[in-house]
Amino acid sequence: MSKFNFRSSKIGTSLIAATLLVGLAACGSSSEDSSTGEESGGQVTVYTGRHYGIETVFDEFTAETGIEVRFTTGSDPELRARLEAEGENTPADIIMTADAANIALSAEAGLLASIDSDVLTEAIPEDLRAADNSWFALSRRLRVIMTSSERVTDAPQTYAEVGDPKWKGKLCLRPSTHPYTQSLVAGLINTLGEDDTRTIVDSWVANDPLYINSDTDILKAIQAGDCDVALANSYYLGRLLSDDAEFPVNLTWPEQAGAGAHLNISAAAVTANAPNRSAAVALLEWLATKGQKSFSDANNEFPADPRVEPKAVLVGFGTFTADTKSVRELGRLNPQAVELLSAAGYE
Amino acid sequence: MRPMRLKLGDMFGWATILGIVALVASPVLVLAWSWRDPSGDVWAELWRTRLPGMISTTAILLIAVVGGTVVLGTSLAWLVSAFHFPGRRVVGWLLVTPLAIPGYIGGFVWLDTLSNVVGARGVRSLWLCALVLIVSLYPYVFLFARAAFADQGADTLAAARSLGLGSWGAFFQVSLPMARPAIAAGAALVAMETLTDIGTVRLFNVSTLSDGVMRVWFGTGDLGAATELASALTGAALLLIACERLLRRGGRQSRASAEKVMSPRTLTVFGNAVVLSVVVVVLTIAVVIPVARLINWSIESNRAGTALTVAGGIRHHAGNTLMLMAAATVTAIVIGTILALVVAHRGRLARLAGRVSTVGYAMPGPVVAVGAVVMLAAVDRRDVLPDSFLLVGSVIGLVYALVVRFIAVGYQGVEASLERVPQPAVESARVLGAGRMRTAFTIEVPAARFGILAATALLAVDITKELPITLLLRPFGVDTLSVWVWQATSESLWAQAAVPSLVMVFMGMFSVGLLLVALERGAELVS
Repeated sequence: MSKFNFRSSKIGTSLIAATLLVGLAACGSSSEDSSTGEESGGQVTVYTGRHYGIETVFDEFTAETGIEVRFTTGSDPELRARLEAEGENTPADIIMTADAANIALSAEAGLLASIDSDVLTEAIPEDLRAADNSWFALSRRLRVIMTSSERVTDAPQTYAEVGDPKWKGKLCLRPSTHPYTQSLVAGLINTLGEDDTRTIVDSWVANDPLYINSDTDILKAIQAGDCDVALANSYYLGRLLSDDAEFPVNLTWPEQAGAGAHLNISAAAVTANAPNRSAAVALLEWLATKGQKSFSDANNEFPADPRVEPKAVLVGFGTFTADTKSVRELGRLNPQAVELLSAAGYE
Repeated sequence: MRPMRLKLGDMFGWATILGIVALVASPVLVLAWSWRDPSGDVWAELWRTRLPGMISTTAILLIAVVGGTVVLGTSLAWLVSAFHFPGRRVVGWLLVTPLAIPGYIGGFVWLDTLSNVVGARGVRSLWLCALVLIVSLYPYVFLFARAAFADQGADTLAAARSLGLGSWGAFFQVSLPMARPAIAAGAALVAMETLTDIGTVRLFNVSTLSDGVMRVWFGTGDLGAATELASALTGAALLLIACERLLRRGGRQSRASAEKVMSPRTLTVFGNAVVLSVVVVVLTIAVVIPVARLINWSIESNRAGTALTVAGGIRHHAGNTLMLMAAATVTAIVIGTILALVVAHRGRLARLAGRVSTVGYAMPGPVVAVGAVVMLAAVDRRDVLPDSFLLVGSVIGLVYALVVRFIAVGYQGVEASLERVPQPAVESARVLGAGRMRTAFTIEVPAARFGILAATALLAVDITKELPITLLLRPFGVDTLSVWVWQATSESLWAQAAVPSLVMVFMGMFSVGLLLVALERGAELVS
């Protein structure tokens, strides 16, 4: 995919590395020795693109197992670039992403290790992990149709119906810069094919949507009357409802007669060069079993293991069918989705 | 004997220039390596879809923001330099403080505030985005213009007035042309900030080239193609700087050393009222409203019990921010000053080389961050450091990356002020046998101290609010205020971001204040 190979520019980097060292000797006195990491054992290091409520979950794991968790947060593509550049020197044992496409890209770049663990394969359904078990979903989030409970009685039931002209000027969407929009369109390409997806996206754009780059703000825009219909991830409504049970937005599960609602995941994997592999596997297994509930509840998400009971506010949304078949394809189809969105003039 | 010594000095000078430039430009140059195998398909697709729109949007935004900041920054600097009015000192400080409000938080505050006025749809416009950027970036021009006005001789102005020019005439025909190089230097910084902004333009749905870089990178995972686009952007930025050089040429005048500095004129009551109301309007928009909203959110989040949710608490974050800011600011200003001193008097080729050091500032922050990681990881892989010390994720690595990003601020500021150092003084010193080094430290650095201090202030503020590099390269457990703000805002928890934002803003205001006091002390000593 990425033709950018960090290791190929040897002559250049050697030269530059030499000057860099000279320079550091000259100007590096301002810094102290830091964090090469204590020798392994009871520690696991995590790079995570998901950071909401992650700390309490790690604390819980440490309390139970005695294994310390050291982590750094960031955006998925940047953390992946760092992991790739570090190569064998990486301190990261686990990489955790907030969406399916990014973990798939890491797998494709050869940054992940296949893990042979009965605990993991038993807990996480087959569709929600890599074919070679190089990554595992930990929670499920769905991109659903949100409507104003005050102004909308005939909510759209499919992603195509969101493009109905009657919603012209009343639709809120997230810009195509965001992975959730890209993944949704990648999922539609997988279930409906490229032509039908293009028709749907064109009809959304024709509705002159208000683009807002935050799902929370999209829901608040419905509340404020700036739009009546929107697409957003399920847990944002869960979060707002936890604060205000009367929040005037209804959730509709889309595509229930078809492929099911668009499903995305939070995923985690052991890195190919993990210094503390056994501790990493222990954390992963814990997150997939005992830790499932607190990991998912912290962000109002559905656990990846369908047998684990979701938070009460989510149970209130009713039962639904989700498009589990697309999850593994989201990474592969993402560039195609981005291109389709651009061509459609989606902001 | 003598020519021989000169030659050695020359070689040493060139080695210094090339060494510094290689050191700070390498992370960007390493990424530019992707050009050896250009992503033709990505470019073709971009050209078919978004690229033309992105280019025109970027151009319009750039012209609007640079134009707006030059007009606003220069006029405010003139008001503060040329006139006496109540509260002049405080106003001079307050007018710089919008710099302390990071774009990623100011942008949201403004989006939220303005959408109450023009609606959620109306607020997402290029012009409002330009307005927000002007209000937050004009201090770059203000600071440099003010230093230039402070440097202008009273006699020159008095002569102009005695020759029949009024205040306005004196401004447009004498002061403004003399301050042109400094204003251009400030405008160059504004241009680069605008070109590389991601946070603010995204909030307002303004699809610029920088936004396009992130689209390509995050959307397709193709870092190579993203860097190609980013380096095209950098090329445009460097071209702009070349234009700025042209503007700077011919503006090279300086106050004769015996001449007194310009003394502000006292205003009539009516004049006072006009000046003060202009200042109040600008300050209300640029500082009072954003800070008031941040305070409001802080109180709200305190009441809701959600204010302090990050491990380590505010002291840990503020302490780390301060420590990093100090280390990176000192390193950047020292290297920037050395580079500017060595480049000065070495002709066009040296200047060109000096320019290359500023590429880190002309690229979107996340791209520089990845370039620095690639660079440092390449050193780490060679195992040359003792105790298998790794640069990636160390304080040294982080400070290095911050210097790469911001050295332009130090270098440009110092370079512009070196140009105003009276040439006869430098030449006399050289003729009397003082070496380059001695001339630099006894004549040039003291004479350019206004500029050096102003550049230090800018560096301190810029580094305090820096986000993408700190986020990617910080050592484990070393979180800063900006990282905290990011963690909250990336989840749209704006109220939770208010407390660290406020602390960051006040830290910025404090360092700006300290430096302005130093500047004024310096001015008093001279006159």
